[in-house]
Amino acid sequence: MSDTSSDVVIVGAGPSGAVAALELARAGMAVTVLEQGGWVAADEFDGARPEWELTQLRKWHPNPNVRGRAEDYPIDAAQSDVNPLMFAGVGGAALIYGAHWVRFMPSDFRVRTLDGVADDWPFTYDDLAPFYEYVEEAMAVSGLSGNPAYPDGAPCPLPPLPMGRVGRKAAKGMNALGWHWWPGSNAIPSRAYRGLQPCVLRGTCGTGCSDGAKATPDRTHWPEALKLGVRLITGARVAEVETDAKGRACGAVWIDRHGARHRARGDVVILCANGIGTPRLLLMSDLANRTGLVGRRLMMHPYAGVMGTFDEELESWVGPAGQILVSMQFYETDTSRGFVRGAKWNCMPAGGPQSFRAGYTGGTLTEGWGAALHDGVARKFGRSFEWGIIGEDLPDPENRIVLSDSLTDGDGLPAPEIRYRMSDNTHRMLAFHTARAVEAMEAAGAISTEVTPLIRDCGWHLMGTAVMGEDPETSVTDQFGRVHDVPNLYVFDGSIFPTSSGMNPTATIMAVAARAVLNLIETRHTLAPSQ
Amino acid sequence: MSLSDEDRRKLDRLAQVMLPGSVGMSGASELQLAHAPVDRVLRIEPALAPKLAHFLTRAGFVGSLGDVEALAQEDPEEFKALEVVLANAYFMHDTVRGEIGYPGQEARDSSVGLDDRDLALLEPVRARGAIWRE
Ligand SMILES: Cc1cc2nc3c(=O)[nH]c(=O)nc-3n(C[C@H](O)[C@H](O)[C@H](O)COP(=O)(O)OP(=O)(O)OC[C@H]3O[C@@H](n4cnc5c(N)ncnc54)[C@H](O)[C@@H]3O)c2cc1C
Ligand code: SF4
Repeated sequence: MSDTSSDVVIVGAGPSGAVAALELARAGMAVTVLEQGGWVAADEFDGARPEWELTQLRKWHPNPNVRGRAEDYPIDAAQSDVNPLMFAGVGGAALIYGAHWVRFMPSDFRVRTLDGVADDWPFTYDDLAPFYEYVEEAMAVSGLSGNPAYPDGAPCPLPPLPMGRVGRKAAKGMNALGWHWWPGSNAIPSRAYRGLQPCVLRGTCGTGCSDGAKATPDRTHWPEALKLGVRLITGARVAEVETDAKGRACGAVWIDRHGARHRARGDVVILCANGIGTPRLLLMSDLANRTGLVGRRLMMHPYAGVMGTFDEELESWVGPAGQILVSMQFYETDTSRGFVRGAKWNCMPAGGPQSFRAGYTGGTLTEGWGAALHDGVARKFGRSFEWGIIGEDLPDPENRIVLSDSLTDGDGLPAPEIRYRMSDNTHRMLAFHTARAVEAMEAAGAISTEVTPLIRDCGWHLMGTAVMGEDPETSVTDQFGRVHDVPNLYVFDGSIFPTSSGMNPTATIMAVAARAVLNLIETRHTLAPSQ
Repeated sequence: MSLSDEDRRKLDRLAQVMLPGSVGMSGASELQLAHAPVDRVLRIEPALAPKLAHFLTRAGFVGSLGDVEALAQEDPEEFKALEVVLANAYFMHDTVRGEIGYPGQEARDSSVGLDDRDLALLEPVRARGAIWRE
């Protein structure tokens, strides 16, 4: 067993781990990062190749159970309405994220005060705003500033990507109804930017960007972090966070691809393994769970979609994908609708002839075969787009991950088992929103619409399973991700979110991680082992 | 894993029934879909080959979509492999792409951004003002 030592050990090289490692290295600290996945070069992605629709069925599928790579761990989701999705690699799930970049709205931080549900966050939108700006600079966010859904207009460092025919069509429908929409903001540069290539609108973001454009931490953060001396070990699956006789974290045990065990010691340990991987590791290590809250309150954003088909050529395979437009028209609570909270909509292109989410539905046209197939392609291909709906998922302690007692990963470690049911509030919310999205499509002139009330493969956003708060009796970490029970153990990923919002979370995950790591750096003198 | 001649003939027939072609869209037989295009898919995704081979061993010669349906019911998972192979062989084919006007996921210039028409569309949204809740 090799034995190394550094100031800080980080588990996970996705967006949250990248923010943490880079800031710590800039502050002069010695950092070791353990990542179970490896590097993925841009030319490994198939976006520019004719087999793009084929390889997303397995090789680039977002569900680790389908992908089944050695570095993935399997997930038992038999007791879940939704499959959790992720990717193991330097860059984490961002390697295959859609790069939809949205801040939470001010009300998201105050749902208990405003709507009497769940919990307020221990800080506000205004507290987080400077950190949003900070990470948006790093993540090459393109968009149009001045969105009236935000008090500060959610400024973007780069100009927006084009809306294309799809965006214009969708916008006209929204205008006819007098509903809010705004050009989509994406972590995708519309210009060459800090080593990123300009986006070429290939529209394959969700299966990886083969053009080196999409902002992912392997391009935006890790190169500088490595230059500053961060030791990033790939193919390193962490089996356990270790503690010393005083109950303080003292490092992690990890397993390499050949099954050999190693020890990485650190004065501080930070978990950035996402809303499933982090509670899994805490449960495997039997840590931080005095309250029994670790793994509970899992939120995954059930997702519905409305596809509209039009009687005109929209070139609807053109990207970004990416979000072309967003709408927050029905984001805020209106109890007359029969539910609390709301959802964000994103307008997306429909992809290739097998539809951009071919991989999600199993891969072939739902229109059937024979003449119906040809007819379906003639009617829909290039002429369809989707309003996707991200419904706010409220925390429920019964929605949780536990350790499986029968399923293990390739290293014999227990796999996570998901127990997750969609709430009545969410059912009512998605029914309301899909009905409105049908209206939006019809107002835009759709000749037909198709509603998908819930996409099972939609657990892109993993949150809530190690909740932050001020009270150690009702939370796992403090507002800076510091575990109440183990003062030198931190969680910086979406696990600490008290609520989920109805937004894609990566902007907030990175902003929260940036806020937390700066606090760690400021308070590091309190973390010495003698304290 | 290569397909036997017998399998290939069955696949050819299935492809003709499932992808008969229509006005402006070639059918499987014109494209010889069960040959090089299918082999290309199996080269890229070899894991599909055993399932496809099993399916074909089981399958008789089909005459109609109804026959295909019956085979699909017998083993939906193996049928899925057939669907994936045929759909991708078809839509990866240059002729089909040309016919349906699909250049593939092509590269375009994103720096054109929003034009004046787009910004004009935003006027009513701006005019309605703030929609966030304090
Ligand atoms: C298909 C898809 C599309 C998405 N689209 C969007 C979008 O458009 N917008 C948006 O905001 N968000 C999107 N997301 C979500 C986004 O990717 C995540 O919010 C983000 O990646 C979270 O960052 P993270 O660092 O906290 O976790 P992750 O990115 O999940 O990174 C965690 C890392 O930890 C590693 N790890 C886990 N356990 C261990 C262990 N035991 N040992 C060693 N390493 C370990 C993993 O391999 C992984 O690399 C999408 C996700 C998916 C899957
Ligand atoms: S749309 Fe842009 S960012 Fe997305 S995959 Fe294509 S080039 Fe990359």
